[in-house]
Amino acid sequence: MQKYNRQPGVLVAIWIIFILLLQACSQPATQPAQVQTSPGTGSTVISTESAVHPSPGRSGTLRVAMQPIVQTDPAQISSDSEVLVASHVYDYLVDVDPTSKIVPRLAKSWQISTDGLTYTFGLAEGVVFHDGSPFTAKDVVWTFNRLRDPASGFPTVDLYSNIESIAASGDLQVTFKLKQPNPFFLYDLSDNHALILKEGTTDPTKFNGTGPFIVSNYSPEDRIELKPNENYWIKDEPRLAGLQVIFFNDDTAMVAALRGGQVDLVMRLATPLFEGLKSDNNISLFSIPSNKFDVVRLRADRAPGNDPRVIQALKLATDRDVLFKLIQQGYGAVGRDSPIGPMYSAYYSDQTPIPARDVTAAKNLLVEAGYSNGLNLTLYTPDTENRPDLAVALKDQWAAAGINVDVKVEPESVYYGDNGWLEVNLGITGWGSRPYPQFYLDVMLVCDAKWNESHFCDPEFDKLAKTAGTTLDEDERIKDYQEIQRILIERGPIIVPYFSATNAAINHQFTDFHLNPFPGRTDLRTVSFSNG
Amino acid sequence: MGKLWCGLYSRPASAIGISLVLIFVLVALLGSFIAPYSSNEQIAADARQPPSPQHWFGTDNLGRDVFSRVILGAWDILSLAGLGTLLAVFIGTAIGLVSTYRSGWLDEITMRTFDSFLAIPALLLALMLLGTLGSSRNSVLIVIVIVYTPIVARVVRSAVLSVKSRGFVEAAQLRGESQTFILVREILPSVLPALAVEAALRFSYAIFLVASLGFLGLGVQPPSPDWGLMIKEARVNVTQTPWALYFPAGAIALVVVGVNLAADGLKRHWQSPE
Repeated sequence: MQKYNRQPGVLVAIWIIFILLLQACSQPATQPAQVQTSPGTGSTVISTESAVHPSPGRSGTLRVAMQPIVQTDPAQISSDSEVLVASHVYDYLVDVDPTSKIVPRLAKSWQISTDGLTYTFGLAEGVVFHDGSPFTAKDVVWTFNRLRDPASGFPTVDLYSNIESIAASGDLQVTFKLKQPNPFFLYDLSDNHALILKEGTTDPTKFNGTGPFIVSNYSPEDRIELKPNENYWIKDEPRLAGLQVIFFNDDTAMVAALRGGQVDLVMRLATPLFEGLKSDNNISLFSIPSNKFDVVRLRADRAPGNDPRVIQALKLATDRDVLFKLIQQGYGAVGRDSPIGPMYSAYYSDQTPIPARDVTAAKNLLVEAGYSNGLNLTLYTPDTENRPDLAVALKDQWAAAGINVDVKVEPESVYYGDNGWLEVNLGITGWGSRPYPQFYLDVMLVCDAKWNESHFCDPEFDKLAKTAGTTLDEDERIKDYQEIQRILIERGPIIVPYFSATNAAINHQFTDFHLNPFPGRTDLRTVSFSNG
Repeated sequence: MGKLWCGLYSRPASAIGISLVLIFVLVALLGSFIAPYSSNEQIAADARQPPSPQHWFGTDNLGRDVFSRVILGAWDILSLAGLGTLLAVFIGTAIGLVSTYRSGWLDEITMRTFDSFLAIPALLLALMLLGTLGSSRNSVLIVIVIVYTPIVARVVRSAVLSVKSRGFVEAAQLRGESQTFILVREILPSVLPALAVEAALRFSYAIFLVASLGFLGLGVQPPSPDWGLMIKEARVNVTQTPWALYFPAGAIALVVVGVNLAADGLKRHWQSPE
């Protein structure tokens, strides 16, 4: 038995090595970098070495880490990287700035008739496509007719079904006539897909746009390289000597590449990764509020969600502040069970108070509803971003009120596959940020909405949503949206615990970077490089 | 048994191995008494804390005590891997013994089938099976059994082949002993050492497999304190809460190293001239 004596020593040694290793990892950050919560305003410093670059005045190649692109036809693009590439090769007619305001792009000016049915646009002069041909109003007509052609099957067909006709008058003027007034028509024209192609383009994947960058090399699954368009119609733009989108499938790998200097820009960073970059002085961090949110929804058309008391109990058992703190770490905003977030400052309302978390009241409601032995539910969630974390945190919060949740994490393709997400009783779904809120009401909450995942059907709500979506009276719309928020807080079968922020990290040598809430729509034309 | 025990402890490497395995088995059995918190207890105010006297291994992004989760996860992984290995060894041994002893077409069919299983990498086979079975604790158990049974059967087969034609087997056959008697009383004891080593090795691989499947999100579902799943969950937070990743990863490493050292000790013990 003497030989046992050797043992404790060995174990202690293992522990000491282990603890030393750990301490090395948990060193607190010494000099946190400044987080800029609004788009940066750094001055432009042109590198003294710019003479070696192809064009004086342009310098630096910005390497962006993003997921691989699959679609290159602007009418078919959807992911951030696809939109980022396309929106730098092509131009929009009108664009949306980081504060969700409509700004001119190829359209320099526009007039709207008093009945809200006719939109007339004046177009920019001296614009040429990458192949040298001039840009005219005919290209605009052709592009939008292509996007709204019902035979095309494009995702924009529905969006533009309200257009009666599009006509060119002269080379630099184009007129859109609508069937019904649409207060959001300019936003619809700035849709991700609405990039202007050359009239009669036979192969829309060939990157022949009017945009600030020209594709010089595209290696699918590796990278796409772009060079500046020397004939771009806005003088001095772009300011970069090159743009590369390098494809990554993994966010952690993107951040590692950014730290290692292999890439310069990473957008749509998960909060933990973003927080982890604070200690790096060579990286500038940007975080802007967006209207991206996760919705926890219970089907309202069958048991148990068809009992309003169950919906109330779930809402009462949820602590939105804690979820915001745990999952979002304070970036973004606390949700109020409605998709109209504080980003829409004109429409967002905090008039109707959200009842504070009250586990006892929730329990009592469940007893009243006939669930005195507790309510058992399966909570489905896609495995993307921090939705599994939200599910696990909810499980803990709801358990206190006698709601027992089985978490089922599914790959995104399974969760959305065969429309399974519209079938399940209880699920978590992520919704992206949009420049205006009507979209969410129309596709997710009105009775016959295409993706009415909660199967919510409320005549009062539907009436308000319809008026808000068609009236040309802004005050009326603001009033309707306030009522809509009240209804959703009182009886909507949805919980919106938080709105996330859009985070980005960029090498500090690049300045004038203006992050967009939808990262793919971030405009890199003004980004400049300084060697300092 | 005492001889085996002291034999193993006379080698430092196997002593470490056995000690590690014993510690983890104790932790697995007594986990709920040791763990200061329950596995999904979330203390929002304590979220993302580094190791401290209050939370020995720190807390994760949801404010859960990592020490408690690692301790409580030991039972999950060891019981799953252990039960899976036991079943695989039992079934594999039975098939290996019978098929090899009977030989002929039965042996041919069984072994060719197993060979085709072995041609597929273990993890790939596991992924294919889980794709069909759906992810749950029971599916993982079935996967371990299906993946490791052919390997055990193969090892038993080679051991049986080497003793099948030995004198004592032939003597038993001449005595007119039943087939079961010959298999269990004559052949099995002589393949037992090889089998024990193989079982220990399979156990360490099974731990790895369970952890890998958890990491890929195909095994048990959250919020189970499965070590692989904990690593998956902590991976995205690694820059903020590295401790939530390193402790479960360290636990997997220690237990796998421990089992391997112990298996190696067993092998050396039986191979030693004494």
